[in-house]
Amino acid sequence: MRYGFIIDNRKCIGCHACTVACKTENHVPLTVNRTWVKYVEKGTFPNTRRVFQVTRCNHCENPPCVTICPVTAMYQRKDGIVDFSSERCIGCKACMQACPYDSIYIDPDEGTAAKCHFCAHRTEVGLEPSCVVVCPEHAIIAGDLDDCDGEIAQLLAREPVRVRKPEQGTRPKLYYIDGDESAIVPTAARHESIYMWAERNQNVHGGGALYPPDSPLLQKNALAAYDVSHARPWSWQVPAYCWTKSIGSGALAIPAIAMLLGRLGADRWRDVVLSTIALLFTALTTVLLVWDLEHKARFLRVVFTPQSKSWLARGAFILIAYSGLSGLFWLGSVLGISAVTSVLLWPTVLVGFFAAMYTAFLFGQCEGRDLWQTPLLPVHLVVQALMCGAAVLTMLPSAVGGSAPVLSVAKEALGFTLILHLLIVAAEFMMPHATDNSAYAARLITHGAFKNWFWGGTVVLGGVLPLLLLWLAPSDFYAAFAGVLALAGLLIFEWCFVMAGQSVPNS
Amino acid sequence: MSNEFKRDGSHLAYCPPVEKWDDWVELDPEAWPRRVEKHYSLVPTICFNCESACGLLAYVDKGTGQVAKFEGNPMHPASRGRLCAKGPATINQIHDPDRVLYPMKRSGARGAGKWTRTSWDEVLETFGARIRKAILEGRGEEVMYHVGRPGHDFIMERTLQAWGIDGHNSHTNVCSSSARLGYLLWHYADRPSPDHANARFILLLSAHLESGHYFNPHAQRIIDGKMAGAKLAVMDPRLSNTASMADYWMPTYPGTEAAVLLAMAKVILDEKRFDATFVKNWTNWEELEVAGFRAKGQSFEALIEELKKHYAQFTPQFAEKESGVKAEVIVKTAREIATAGSRFASHLWRGSASGNLGGWQPARALMLLHVLTGSVGTEGGHNLNAWNKFVPKTFRVPPPQKRWNELLYPQEWPLCTHEMSFLLPHFLKEGRGRIEAYFTRVFNPVWTFPDGFSWIEMLRDEEKVGLHAALTPTWSETAWFADYVLPMGFSSERHDLMSQESYAGKWIGFRQPVNRVLRERSGEKFEYTYQANPGEVWEEDEFWINLSWAIDPDGAMGIRQYFESPYKPGQKLTVDEYYGWIFDNSVPGLPETAKKEGLTPLQYMRKYGAFEVTRDVYKQNEKPIAAADLAGSKVEANGVVTKEGKPVGVMVEDKPVVGYKTPSRKLELFSKTMADWKWPEFTLPEYYRSHIHRSAQAASLGQPAEDFDAKYMPVVEWPKEAQGEVYTLLPIFRLPNLIHTRSGNAKFLYEISHKNPLWVNPVDAKKLGGVRTGELMKVHTEIGYFVLHAWVTEGLTPGVVACSHHLGRWRINKEDQVERMSSAWVDLKEVGKGQWKMRQLESVSPYESADPETKRVWWSDAGVHQDITFPVHPDPISGMHCWHQMVRVEKAGPDDRYGDIFVDTNLSFAVYQRWKALARPAPGPGGLRRPLWIPRVMRPEEAAYYMKKS
Repeated sequence: MRYGFIIDNRKCIGCHACTVACKTENHVPLTVNRTWVKYVEKGTFPNTRRVFQVTRCNHCENPPCVTICPVTAMYQRKDGIVDFSSERCIGCKACMQACPYDSIYIDPDEGTAAKCHFCAHRTEVGLEPSCVVVCPEHAIIAGDLDDCDGEIAQLLAREPVRVRKPEQGTRPKLYYIDGDESAIVPTAARHESIYMWAERNQNVHGGGALYPPDSPLLQKNALAAYDVSHARPWSWQVPAYCWTKSIGSGALAIPAIAMLLGRLGADRWRDVVLSTIALLFTALTTVLLVWDLEHKARFLRVVFTPQSKSWLARGAFILIAYSGLSGLFWLGSVLGISAVTSVLLWPTVLVGFFAAMYTAFLFGQCEGRDLWQTPLLPVHLVVQALMCGAAVLTMLPSAVGGSAPVLSVAKEALGFTLILHLLIVAAEFMMPHATDNSAYAARLITHGAFKNWFWGGTVVLGGVLPLLLLWLAPSDFYAAFAGVLALAGLLIFEWCFVMAGQSVPNS
Repeated sequence: MSNEFKRDGSHLAYCPPVEKWDDWVELDPEAWPRRVEKHYSLVPTICFNCESACGLLAYVDKGTGQVAKFEGNPMHPASRGRLCAKGPATINQIHDPDRVLYPMKRSGARGAGKWTRTSWDEVLETFGARIRKAILEGRGEEVMYHVGRPGHDFIMERTLQAWGIDGHNSHTNVCSSSARLGYLLWHYADRPSPDHANARFILLLSAHLESGHYFNPHAQRIIDGKMAGAKLAVMDPRLSNTASMADYWMPTYPGTEAAVLLAMAKVILDEKRFDATFVKNWTNWEELEVAGFRAKGQSFEALIEELKKHYAQFTPQFAEKESGVKAEVIVKTAREIATAGSRFASHLWRGSASGNLGGWQPARALMLLHVLTGSVGTEGGHNLNAWNKFVPKTFRVPPPQKRWNELLYPQEWPLCTHEMSFLLPHFLKEGRGRIEAYFTRVFNPVWTFPDGFSWIEMLRDEEKVGLHAALTPTWSETAWFADYVLPMGFSSERHDLMSQESYAGKWIGFRQPVNRVLRERSGEKFEYTYQANPGEVWEEDEFWINLSWAIDPDGAMGIRQYFESPYKPGQKLTVDEYYGWIFDNSVPGLPETAKKEGLTPLQYMRKYGAFEVTRDVYKQNEKPIAAADLAGSKVEANGVVTKEGKPVGVMVEDKPVVGYKTPSRKLELFSKTMADWKWPEFTLPEYYRSHIHRSAQAASLGQPAEDFDAKYMPVVEWPKEAQGEVYTLLPIFRLPNLIHTRSGNAKFLYEISHKNPLWVNPVDAKKLGGVRTGELMKVHTEIGYFVLHAWVTEGLTPGVVACSHHLGRWRINKEDQVERMSSAWVDLKEVGKGQWKMRQLESVSPYESADPETKRVWWSDAGVHQDITFPVHPDPISGMHCWHQMVRVEKAGPDDRYGDIFVDTNLSFAVYQRWKALARPAPGPGGLRRPLWIPRVMRPEEAAYYMKKS
């Protein structure tokens, strides 16, 4: 059995009965929706039409929200319904990033993820979902796609249908008859500050999606006449986590590489300081991760009841491994047992690379954030970690290993990694984007709401200026200053990257 | 009875089987995926939001005894288990933390907002004594019942007639009177009942896919028809959701619809695509007299030639020039209509009829298309509301009242279809009478009527309105100015019997107080419904019965007898007995159906909530005259069959059939009534220009156009400060999920819509100085102005601006009165005599209440009240308030703030006088106040129709 929906737009009159019936059936609070009716007006008078689109969870065959969920709170039932358990949910909001359809929200009472679950509590007792029952036009058809005699399978066989964003590979099981481009493509319609009879809710968490009026992706004369706002799930803690994790995971890397190249020798105090930094920043990373959870007390579930495909869960184990190794390394360096440090150095550094890199796989699971799914990201994150390691090294006081050769290595490494970082950033934004979603996000960074931060903070302050300093004023003081600038520029970049990625409308 | 509610090819049901309604087990959605069982009793009732009267099924949680949710009742033949957004939202309304739970009595000055709780006994005593005294002193007309939300007529008209007073007032003349006049001139029945489901072509001058009488039931059938192959055309200056779904959107310039319809008629006539047999047999063509042509004695072909000549000016090109709709579209749709023939369905409601001076003409012109295509009374065609709406009889019917209330049906508008209700403040101002006891019933004229400040001036004047009780489930702007606010139940808290013309069939639905019904089922007994409802929320049925006993406690006035049990003489009538008698005695088929299930008819209705009376509804005009009527009847020269001087039918093709209830017993192509009542120029369906026509706009600026005729419309006189371009404002469109001021208590509805910006076409936005969406605009009416945001849209005819009338609620007190999620807190000041200023002090923001959700109200706007800035525009013939406004629009100035309102009621009184002067007053032939044949709510005895010679 495979449950699915057909929305028959030949019949839908845009009356919002489904929205309200769903709210009263499932006790959905104000501010959030499991289903809603998007309106788009298109054309020029008198060749005008208002298109209605019932919009909700697609109960994908390949649901990214299930894959990313670290604790099996989102799960796919045997009958194809994608359901959720608020009792298991830790409120990490990864599923909201994974969903390319804006279908999931955080319940303001429960602090847990929720969405349309096909009224599974009703189908269990033999009833249709409440939206299907209420619909005046029987424009919502729910049923078993595998039952050839069923209404839904027959319609699917006979009518041309389309789904939202097939390019995400999610294989939605909600099909639109007469779906319209202007409504199906989330970036096609212009959004104003108000709709035809409502305000656009900009008080949702993070302010919701951004709608630049000059977006080149806009369809001519397509105007969103009614829509619902969706939270930008992750706050400042997540870019901050990326940043602290880069520092923590790259702290030991540069001296290790320099030692391998014969440029530096071992140094106990340097090891003590750098492994302390690795430990502290990794701990800070964990704090930030937990901080962004809606249910902070449930964070250990990621470890004790993990969902093995989730890179959020996998990442937790990588961070644990890295913390363990750097902790042992720290102990070895403090106790001065060089056998321990020399044996553990490269395992620690390599696991550090994984710690830096795993976020790329986590972001790769975020099917709703195409900007984050760039294949350059794993490499970029390692480069960022190395850059942070170099930047930290430029600030190392001479008393604790900041010797002239170390600083010389630090300067070279910072210059080299900064150039690599800028090249990757340039590649990221100059290469054509595979999807509208990532093009939209990239444009928000280079031309939109984030442009001043990006160009001023990441490119000039955190990129060009430190490079110029390293080149033109190669004193230790200016090198340390360049290190500070590079770190600041990276933090700004993380912020732009995480926020812009989440500012793209997905519905 | 079907016990499986499943669609073809679905293994899931859309409703639990009836046999499980007493104990239905569902899984708790909040606990899910844990399986926590919840036990419900399912009790049917009827929605209380719009007029459609759709069937609800209340899910009463057996654990808490409270209604947990409402779904559709699949046993209801009109709504078929499906609902619009307002149906399920009923749960918000019954749990509204700001609702009125106890009878309240004013403790300060009127409108000062001080209230104390009182008892129902005190209310009955106070009103009983006042009304008794008024009736005994011969001042019965000073007692008035004024209804907003209708659907309570079965007991109400009976009550007032039992009191012997002509005291029924309604909202109909701000709603639908013009459309009604257009229809009734043709066939007495004043509303259409289109058979959309079986039509081949559907033409809507309405927005029935999102609103209207009757939204959900009709929307279902329109789409059924469309899916079966019907084409849909929609005539509306605004791109409604309905127009969006149409094959042809015809954005007529407002008020020009009749020109387009007549052009279509001309195409059908010229191309000989009409149904000659039908027109010949079923119209009164032989009576036609126009421009020197007399049809009597002439051939039918000569008549057709004369009609062609008469309508020759309505070329598609002329219609395009008037309306903006392309001539080729007019020709194409006319041909498609002719092809659909008897399967041509249409609906006209509000919109052009309610907006425009002469708004009854589009209905009349539309009917001409039905007559030409022979699509009257047919499957897939136009049917009469009277054929599809079931009106049962009650026991011991009181005689018609002997009196005529001039405050309701004044002499100036003898053809008005309903009470001239919106002129009441002006009538009292003119000294035409006063009101001793005034009941407003789910009625909020301060807000929903034009010229609300004149209503405030009237309501606060204790000389004019002696005692005022607002019967209402919620606070309202009008209740604020009452002496008593009497809480009446919502859909699950009251009784009513409902029937509407929803499809090709007749049905009745039973609204019932769910908690009382359930508790009585388990053996408890209640004397009054308020004992089982939340707080002391009552229902009108029991209120009127008890009030009638309070008026006439010993029965000496002859009133009490109508409120005594038909089964137990001398005892007070109970609601069970009232409806039980109707179900036993006057619903054909119900007793038999109930018996099959071993139920009494009342038990059946309590269990299922609805009953389909018949499906035999087509061509009722062709039914033979009943044998009893035929005996002793005679055939007049014109073919009308009369008995004792009263028409009972007509001879058609030599057969005596009942025909229509018009004087000719046929469809009246030619209206002698119009000639007799001083409008000889309108004996045929015509097009005449609306008060907002471009020529009238020019005249308002002192540039009288050649085609402006001051005999038919007044020249607008702008207030001094009114600046800006002249536009037509469309102020009367509904939103699919709100209903006037009755839905402000539903958070899930207001979350979806809470703003009513001014729609402006981009062409006009440019003309007005580059207006952008969200910009502040000032709209000047003839009597004041309002300030609101712009919504620039391609979905509107240029030259027209539009604003929904569903939003803009306000409250005077910060913390109470109208729900805070749906109203702005305002400062209301009378700055000079009749000069009113309103400014928003605070708009919507989250607040603490018994419902924790109100802390989450995220919207910060409840819209801007526009109706209060409109003067009254009584149509000189139908009496309908012509809603469209000629306005001047400009960008707001530095001192204007969002939601600002200013009105001068002195100006509104002057506008009233100018419009009144257009009317052609009674008496008509024989000293009549009103033609005897046309319908009237609560018809008095015939003698009252004749004016006293002064």
